[in-house]
Amino acid sequence: MPAGVQSRRAARVREVADIALAIRTENLTKIYDVGWGRQHVGIEELNLEVETGQIFGLVGPNGSGKTTTLKLLLGLIFPTSGAGEVLGEPMGDPRSKNRVGYLPEGPYFYEHLNAPELLRMYGSLFGMGGAALDARIQELLELVDMWDRRDYRIADYSRGMLQRVGVAQSLINNPDLLFFDEPTSGLDPIGAKDIREVILRLRGEGKTVFLCSHLLKEMEPICDNIAILSRGRLVTEGSVAELLRGDRLRYRLELREPDEELLAKLQGNAEEVLWLEETCRLLFADRQAAFDAAAQAEDEGGYVLAAGPDRRTLEEVFIDAVGEVSVDASDL
Amino acid sequence: MRAIFRVARATYYEGWRKRFLNGILVFAILIIGSSWVFTYLQPGAELKMLIDVGLGSIRFFGMLIAVFLGSRLVPDEIEKRTIYTLLSKPVTRMQFLLGKFFGGLATVVSNMALMGLTFYIVFMIKAPQFAQPTEDSPAYKMEFMYENIAKAVLLSFFEMAVVMGIAVVASVVFSWILAAIFSFFVYFTGQMSEFFGHLADPDTGASPVARVVLLTVYRVLPHFENFDVRESILTDVPVIWSYVGMTIGMGVLYITIVLALGYLFFNQREV
Repeated sequence: MPAGVQSRRAARVREVADIALAIRTENLTKIYDVGWGRQHVGIEELNLEVETGQIFGLVGPNGSGKTTTLKLLLGLIFPTSGAGEVLGEPMGDPRSKNRVGYLPEGPYFYEHLNAPELLRMYGSLFGMGGAALDARIQELLELVDMWDRRDYRIADYSRGMLQRVGVAQSLINNPDLLFFDEPTSGLDPIGAKDIREVILRLRGEGKTVFLCSHLLKEMEPICDNIAILSRGRLVTEGSVAELLRGDRLRYRLELREPDEELLAKLQGNAEEVLWLEETCRLLFADRQAAFDAAAQAEDEGGYVLAAGPDRRTLEEVFIDAVGEVSVDASDL
Repeated sequence: MRAIFRVARATYYEGWRKRFLNGILVFAILIIGSSWVFTYLQPGAELKMLIDVGLGSIRFFGMLIAVFLGSRLVPDEIEKRTIYTLLSKPVTRMQFLLGKFFGGLATVVSNMALMGLTFYIVFMIKAPQFAQPTEDSPAYKMEFMYENIAKAVLLSFFEMAVVMGIAVVASVVFSWILAAIFSFFVYFTGQMSEFFGHLADPDTGASPVARVVLLTVYRVLPHFENFDVRESILTDVPVIWSYVGMTIGMGVLYITIVLALGYLFFNQREV
């Protein structure tokens, strides 16, 4: 075999090996015994693979099993069957805990402490101390915009302040993997934006972020990959781009109340015609057909609202995947 | 050790913030501080009354604090979800449980120490007035009593450590209310453990099945009456250090077994 081919193959092998998995689950199942012989499926045969260095979003309606998955991965609860690994160690293994950070949903902390005391307590659990810990505490409280309010007792915190300090405590050990459960829940728009920026910054530092949320509009712009859970089952999974594109990319032309004659001419090349109140949406298999139709509509006095790739929103993907029955519209 | 200490420290300070415990402490100090008033109820036996009310109050209120605090330590962590951030860090369940126990125990002992101090002050002021003349010098008699009272308070600390251990472990298995009821039950039946031992005696005519049950109860229950040395103090019987040491040793052994059992349950418990 030529030396060049050999070295290219070796490089490829190294490349594949470098794609380390931060999280891997295999047929992970959790069934809760709810008494009187009844059972509730928390998670059913969940197979997930989360690569290092990405933001992975686990989305689903309330009660779909997001928090159950998180708790299983952290070893807070135990699987009924199946297995999982976190940073190469079995779920809940103390060795992986040194490299993991966790922000629970609606975090709550010891009320007698203030933020630096809380972070000092958590930092000491990782063997941190002295000036290095003090510097880390200041850095994190500045990051979450709590340094100026550091002397407040946690008992006096608002929900948003608790969330910010929750993020800070999850980062105290400079973890490689972060689990965030509804990180922007209860935050005002500025607070939510700040947290999203922190998450993006963490990815920039090469960290893996595992996000659980039902706030799809917040997940769409920041996640690399998304898995959608419904009633404990994984219904779809993929990169955000793949999910939004669907099975194949189509092109759309949107017209405002076209007359019947124009519509009859245009829809011959269209694969699908949809009416959304006053808007008529024509979907074409290829880009050229869509733009030809747009030009024709313009020429014939039609009112063209938009033309371009037919990308769905995550909300549409979610509703398709989960089914409208189990979606609480107020959650979206 | 570091993790246990950190959890214990947080638990200790949280314990002091619990208002119902503060209420019990204030009430206990009021009762103990005014224990000399009760001496008027039994003329001629004032010293007995003073010791009975004082030491009895320390034990009773200490037990209340140990049960109510102990039975809520772990459930509160779960309910408030503070346990999630702790157990997701390098803290094992054993360290968490021990941290909660020692932190809670430190709170109980601090509370009891304040009660003990209050009683000591009252005793120092009032007891010399009530002491009966004996062959020994009054000074020697009082010194003897101070030492015995210190031993009684020390034994109470360890008695409450056992109660606290039972309450903490029961709360891992049951809800906190059930755990509190269970702990009270064990405490009060444990005061009568010798009685169960006597009932199991072949001479009592109990059936073999009843004897096995009674003997099991006798062996399983902590012998709380061993921690109560008021009778010895009142009858001028010295509470010897070997007895104190043996009783404390048995208490520590009991706590170790209870906590080990608690760990087995807690290790399987989902939070």
